[in-house]
Amino acid sequence: MSSTIWDKLGNIDYRILYALSLILMLIPIIRPIGLPTPVSETVRGFYETIDNLPPGSVVFVSLEGSLSLLDEQEAQYIATLKILFQRDLKVVFYSVTEDGELIYNYLFSVVNPEKYGKKYGIDYVRLGYAPLEERGQAAVALDVRSVYPRDFYGTPLDEIPMMKDIHNWKDVDLLIYYYTSCTNVEFAIRQWVIPYHTKCIVGTLGCCGPMAVPYFPDYIQGILSGSGAGAELEVISGNPGPGAMMNDAKNFGILGLLLFLILGNVSYLGKRFGGESE
Amino acid sequence: MSFVRRELPTAILALCGILLILEFFIPSPILQAIKSELTTWSVIIAATSCWLGFIYMAYAQLRMLGRNPTTSQYFWFSLPFIFFLLFFIVGVSFPGDVSSPQYRWLITYIYQQVGATVYAVMFFTLSSAAYRTFKVASIEAIALLLGGTIYMLRQIPLFVYICPWLLPLGEWILLVPNAAGGRGAVICAALGALAVGLRTLAGREVTLVEVR
Repeated sequence: MSSTIWDKLGNIDYRILYALSLILMLIPIIRPIGLPTPVSETVRGFYETIDNLPPGSVVFVSLEGSLSLLDEQEAQYIATLKILFQRDLKVVFYSVTEDGELIYNYLFSVVNPEKYGKKYGIDYVRLGYAPLEERGQAAVALDVRSVYPRDFYGTPLDEIPMMKDIHNWKDVDLLIYYYTSCTNVEFAIRQWVIPYHTKCIVGTLGCCGPMAVPYFPDYIQGILSGSGAGAELEVISGNPGPGAMMNDAKNFGILGLLLFLILGNVSYLGKRFGGESE
Repeated sequence: MSFVRRELPTAILALCGILLILEFFIPSPILQAIKSELTTWSVIIAATSCWLGFIYMAYAQLRMLGRNPTTSQYFWFSLPFIFFLLFFIVGVSFPGDVSSPQYRWLITYIYQQVGATVYAVMFFTLSSAAYRTFKVASIEAIALLLGGTIYMLRQIPLFVYICPWLLPLGEWILLVPNAAGGRGAVICAALGALAVGLRTLAGREVTLVEVR
């Protein structure tokens, strides 16, 4: 029994599809395209929220990151750190996943705060890791010391000059909430934004961005979604980084995905409405 | 036994829930202190549950080994424990603990690479799935495909460069229909959570304390 062209189109060997995907992603890594990156409204909101903070404002950065997913958010983290350190802000970093502190170690090796004239304990503090799900965010908002009596290096918070006046949500001007599990955006909204009206901007994976959009701009003032948003943040803040290359690679990967979608559906529609024989 | 396993946990849950709700509506320093204490306890309980997960994993692995005590099964059984011990011993043995170069080497060259590889492989599965299963067989599928395609094209600078109108259209899809639909879903989920919360407070939600 001979197969029609529609059958052939719908039964391409998956190894060919995989090879094509790989090639499409490798091209921009080997030879970056570097096309202009337009800045979306959600990324603009993220940047402007930080940019509009008065000097001396206190920013909490909550990191629920994963090393496995670092390529999705690395550009976001690096660009955000640069923006924060370029301004006169007091920044408190804490992590809620085991990988968080390892990611911070890496980020601080890439974006050295000393290079921006920032001193530990005066301009920024690392609190370390605690298994903070939603209840943990609630605990930090109520009393930072209930979860983190000491910083990452074991120093009691009361002995750190910057932390002397930082106790709870009343002392926080902005929460930057990074997460990798799509519905966790609600942790920040339920425990920081709704009860205390804390300003909040978020960063997440590309697939989670659309689920955060319903809260924009009333509850969260900005969203970074995937490496593409990281590249956009690099553009709007004027801090070049790894986002542009990652963006190119992923975008070409998406191109492959679209091609497969079209091929699969042309085959399906051809079989349904087209001729039966070749 | 039934009281200890069912009524007591339900009563504790209901009491904690009522106290936290009261704190939200009544600004009292006593209630705030109780809320602060309860949330701190819950963080400690969450940290302890990591060990519970480890014990449960060991138990499940042992049962699997009991059912199939072959050499290869012994290998697969011991593998997670070997890596657990490796990371644990290196993590506590060297100066700097988890910030020591030795531990960072393990994380960078084993954990991070394995994790990233597993995540990367998902892309190929996704491509294959898109090709084989996503068919425009209904109006809903066509709407999903059109919306998704326009939004994906908006993410590709090359297409935005060629067709500048993709940018506002993709933004509109994200910020208007997606936000409207998402808000509806969030409200529905919130009402569902409210119903479960009320059942818990009334002691009717047995699934919270009992696995069936």
